[in-house]
Amino acid sequence: MAMAQSPFDAPPQGENAFARITHNVARVAEVPKPPRGWYIAFGIALTLLSIFGVSIGWLMWTGIGIFGNMNPVFWAMPIVNFVFWVGIGHAGTLISAILYLLRQNWRTAINRFAEAMTIFAVICAGIFPGLHVGRPWLPYWMFPLPNQMSMWPQFRSPLEWDVFAVGTYFTVSTLFWYMGMIPDFGTFRDRSTTRLRKAIFGLLAMGWRGSSRQWHRYERAYLILAALATPLVLSVHSVVSFDFATAQLPGWHATIFPPYFVAGAIFGGFAMVVTLAVPARQFFGLKRIITVGHLELMAKIILATGMMVGYAYSMEFFIAWYGGNDYEMFTFFNRALGPYAWSYWAMIFCNVVSPQVFWSKKMRTNPWVILGVGVLVNIGMWFERFVIVITSLSRDFLPSSWGYYKPTFWDFSLLAGSFGLFFTLFLLFCRYLPMVAMAEVKAFHPSAHGHGDEHH
Amino acid sequence: MAKTKETAKEGGFGDNIRMDGLASKLMGIAGGIGVIGLGASFGLGYTSDKSQFMHSYLTAYAWILSIGLGALWWVVLQHLVNAKWSTVVRRVGELLASTMPMLALLSLPIVIPALMGDSTLYIWADSQKMHADHLLHKKAAFLNRDFFVVRLVIYFVFWGVLSRYLLSKSVEQDKTGAPEIRSKLQGLCAPSMILLALTLTFAAIDFVMTLEPKWYSTIFGVYYFAGAVVSFHSFFALALMWLQKNGRLAKSVTSEHYHDIGKMMFAFTAFWAYIAFSQFMLIWYANIPEETEWYHVRAHGAWGTVSYLMVAVNFLIPFFGLLSRHVKRNRMALGFWAVWILVVHWLDMFWLVKPHMHTEHLPFSILDVTCTVGMLGLFIAAAAFASQKVNLVPIKDPRLEKSLAFENF
Amino acid sequence: MSHHDDDLHGLLAEYETPSALVAACKKVRDAGYAKWDTFTPFPIHGIEKAMGIRMTGLPWIVLAAALVGLASAVGLQWWTNAVDYKFISSGKPMWSIPANVPVYFELTVLFSAFAALFGMLILNNLPQPSHPLDHLQAFGRVTDDRFFLYIEKGDAKFDLAETQRLLDGTHPVTVDAVNEDRRTSDQLPKPLVLTAAVIAVLALVPFAFIAKARATKTDKPKIHAMGDMDWQIKFQAQQPNPLFQDGMAMRAPEPGTVALDEHPDDEHLTAGKVDGQFVRTFPAGFKVDEATMARGKERYQIFCAPCHGVSGNGDGPVAQRAMTLAEGTWVPPTALGQDYLRQMAVGQLYDVVTNGVRNMPAYGSQIAVDDRWAVVLYLRALQKAKAAPVGDLTDAERAALK
Repeated sequence: MAMAQSPFDAPPQGENAFARITHNVARVAEVPKPPRGWYIAFGIALTLLSIFGVSIGWLMWTGIGIFGNMNPVFWAMPIVNFVFWVGIGHAGTLISAILYLLRQNWRTAINRFAEAMTIFAVICAGIFPGLHVGRPWLPYWMFPLPNQMSMWPQFRSPLEWDVFAVGTYFTVSTLFWYMGMIPDFGTFRDRSTTRLRKAIFGLLAMGWRGSSRQWHRYERAYLILAALATPLVLSVHSVVSFDFATAQLPGWHATIFPPYFVAGAIFGGFAMVVTLAVPARQFFGLKRIITVGHLELMAKIILATGMMVGYAYSMEFFIAWYGGNDYEMFTFFNRALGPYAWSYWAMIFCNVVSPQVFWSKKMRTNPWVILGVGVLVNIGMWFERFVIVITSLSRDFLPSSWGYYKPTFWDFSLLAGSFGLFFTLFLLFCRYLPMVAMAEVKAFHPSAHGHGDEHH
Repeated sequence: MAKTKETAKEGGFGDNIRMDGLASKLMGIAGGIGVIGLGASFGLGYTSDKSQFMHSYLTAYAWILSIGLGALWWVVLQHLVNAKWSTVVRRVGELLASTMPMLALLSLPIVIPALMGDSTLYIWADSQKMHADHLLHKKAAFLNRDFFVVRLVIYFVFWGVLSRYLLSKSVEQDKTGAPEIRSKLQGLCAPSMILLALTLTFAAIDFVMTLEPKWYSTIFGVYYFAGAVVSFHSFFALALMWLQKNGRLAKSVTSEHYHDIGKMMFAFTAFWAYIAFSQFMLIWYANIPEETEWYHVRAHGAWGTVSYLMVAVNFLIPFFGLLSRHVKRNRMALGFWAVWILVVHWLDMFWLVKPHMHTEHLPFSILDVTCTVGMLGLFIAAAAFASQKVNLVPIKDPRLEKSLAFENF
Repeated sequence: MSHHDDDLHGLLAEYETPSALVAACKKVRDAGYAKWDTFTPFPIHGIEKAMGIRMTGLPWIVLAAALVGLASAVGLQWWTNAVDYKFISSGKPMWSIPANVPVYFELTVLFSAFAALFGMLILNNLPQPSHPLDHLQAFGRVTDDRFFLYIEKGDAKFDLAETQRLLDGTHPVTVDAVNEDRRTSDQLPKPLVLTAAVIAVLALVPFAFIAKARATKTDKPKIHAMGDMDWQIKFQAQQPNPLFQDGMAMRAPEPGTVALDEHPDDEHLTAGKVDGQFVRTFPAGFKVDEATMARGKERYQIFCAPCHGVSGNGDGPVAQRAMTLAEGTWVPPTALGQDYLRQMAVGQLYDVVTNGVRNMPAYGSQIAVDDRWAVVLYLRALQKAKAAPVGDLTDAERAALK
């Protein structure tokens, strides 16, 4: 398969490390044509996006009867998809904010596109609650807007807390992402060859020139935003977990849900980060910036958070027995042995078993193994939400009320379509925006610290 | 402004990193206070008001255990993530974690009565009562004296062996400087962390949650863990300050290190509040009597006042107090908050344990003071004992230089 | 590089490495300059100290915003749920602080984040569309790989020769003179202003529509965007249904259907009649005791008192209102203490409650059979109260009346 060498495979140009970093990253957005892989991926993404559009259109026209939701499983795939996407977003914030506070400088290679991933994931997430209600033209009722009915939203409901949590999360993530890009927009602006590019990036860069006095306040704001984003990311998936844990349903009502969901979110999110990072570094020639070392660290985090999720599974199991609550115990037996056992064991295999390969150094330094496990974990985390939501609803207290839920074609088309939206946005980001935080990578490059400077 | 530090490679460390006579002095004083404190507790309490004694003892024990386990967790974490800022202070952490044998010993006044069927604390120690109750007999396979002891043995053996191994390997590196010790310990600490999470959880369940065997919470282990982390870091800060005041580590431990310890105190104050709130709110919201019963006791009367007080003293006040970086970098201020946090986390244990004894009023007695002081003394004596012949800094750890020189944001 | 003194804006030194720049900064700082700055592609560690930059007050702004956010969240949830639009939700208190905590937290973070970003931009004087340095081509590398130090002519200590010498002493790559920017316009670019104006106007349009809708009335029917929601394919009450012989969607119960508390065979109980005659006794099994009397009183006060009055005088609130309205169509409710009613059979009284009489509607569908008998019992008590013979009173009661 001989192809002309892609411009991304060539070593980056520049007389010093900083210039090479600039070139390595900027060329992704500046070359006349993106790599062929990008076109193929974009084609698939657009196809899925169209499916999304068609599905949403049909849903608006016909109503939520096209879902498989049926007594007793009234909450099904749309909410599973919502939790799935929100969870994925969390890794981006963790990389941006928490790893920053922990002074893990390796994050600079991946934090930009992880933050982008967060925002696109949250967009996909936010669509589902809006869609899955009976009258999707009324979501503005969820906001405390004065109205002629003299009514206000119900703040005692976790679903209302979701509005604020996901809304705040989306806003803060976007602000953080944008702020991080200001210096890099400056770089793009200064390298622009056309007036249009210069105007657009100039606007976005706000006239950033790298003044140290400005850097000082900028760094302070960055630290503050990181310090705010850290508890925020814990709170968002905790609030999402409250959607379930505040109920009295066996399998839903467990006090460990908040940290369990957060650990699971980070777990699934990192899996998505590696799923994106491995092909991106391959096709965009970023292997010198996103190294195997970075991938290995991410693999370790996947293993660690996977173990935290496993801890939560064990605690639920133990307390279900210890609590002596027959309904609770039944829920867990039902998950493993009942009609949805296939989903449960898929979840266990993907979430608990597959990350175990990362105990081996060989496995966790092989990008394609990491990619494979990343994909499996994403599947596993989707199944985890499926197991939690659907098995608990399909068989709760009263056997006469039990029922089997079957998703419909449209349930699946919306899920697949959401991936279309996500990947379309992500691929556009890769092509047009600074994909790696150039200023941050430079700041932690060894050349940035001369003799006479302190080390971190 | 480069700091020049002589590392152990050049022979002299440039700072006093040996306890020498201080260790035996500390052992003597702390140990003495410990023995007197506990002796007085036994004398006062066991004979006159056994229930008061048992509950006060358990409260103090849960508190001191959380400090020790917090230390062990911290050391394992530093190895696991290959932390560089903490190398210079890690040996002190290892010494605090080496108190496991003493903690095992201190558990005996709780374990032995339970083994003998005394159900003052744990109703499940009385197997007759267990089998008579329609709910409790289902848990008797877990909640019985023998399995309890087996579990405790597992916990203490694991904690003891792990803490000892981590300390001895670290001390070995002082002599040989072997760099592979670092990676070996990092590798070991991964499965160790998993086992630590499980043993800590079940210890918290065994000692505290089973006081009310009909109540349960899946997050309980995490709750105890949060308190352990924040208590340990506070104790750690005070220990380092005390050492510096006594001429040890005067130059090696800087405001940067205190700043990082302070950050953990701050962050885990918030984390504790998050876990405490999650547990409470979910139980409040679902309003299931089986679960709310535990909170109901703590929400009314004198206990209710304590609960509201805890929102302020365990969360709001230390949160705002520790917000500023200037506070975290100032030894006096940080020391104040360290003491504060240790006190309010003792209050947390009190609030967890004592309602089992009295639901109407707060059963605070002199025994609470003597038990706590006694255990604290013996805990410090055990750490001092471990510190006798070792360096207070892992002098040949490859990350030491970075740790000495690092600067915060 | 020749220039006129009044054209000069400042001197720019370019460096290849961060450490060279930091070293230069210390010299400039120590020389006492105030109006100077450095420009770098990334934040240089240690440069704040080298330049003497003081810690920004941004954290205080963020703290203030956080407190405002928290107060807003408390106020919002308290006002909307506990004051303005109260409704009971699973027995939770109107002001449920535990349930409000998540939103407290989120709004605190949201306000803080806005303050951090916008505070930073404002303090940094961003957006900063133009700067004299932009016209220097070499300065384009500031966002790439070169480091710059700039001393403004406006600084008190600035002296062309002295400053030049100072900078030369720091071993820069070059030192350039930078002129005042007389080329860039002070005005915002026209297309930008125009676009912003157009967007602002367009943004007001939806609000204008909303305002119009709020202020006007219309007699046009509602727009049905979702026809299949508004006109559903189902049979509703009072609708025709061709499937059935009688053409009605509503079905009557099968003949012989009996309600749970119905006793079709016991005419005495369910109809107050035996052999077509109204009975004068209460049904068998009907207990005449305090409990039944209390029940009867309660049911009477619910169903009968609105018209007949609490004492049975026909002066209930509905009757009084009708008298006030004086519309001329009202038939006053009967005063229940009258003789003929005292002598009426209990069965007939029961029948009146069940089926109504004259203008009084039937209450049989609202009051269960046993309750109707209890009401009749209470009615008897009311009637007795109005006409009790003296002999029925106890001594104490007689004494009290005197």
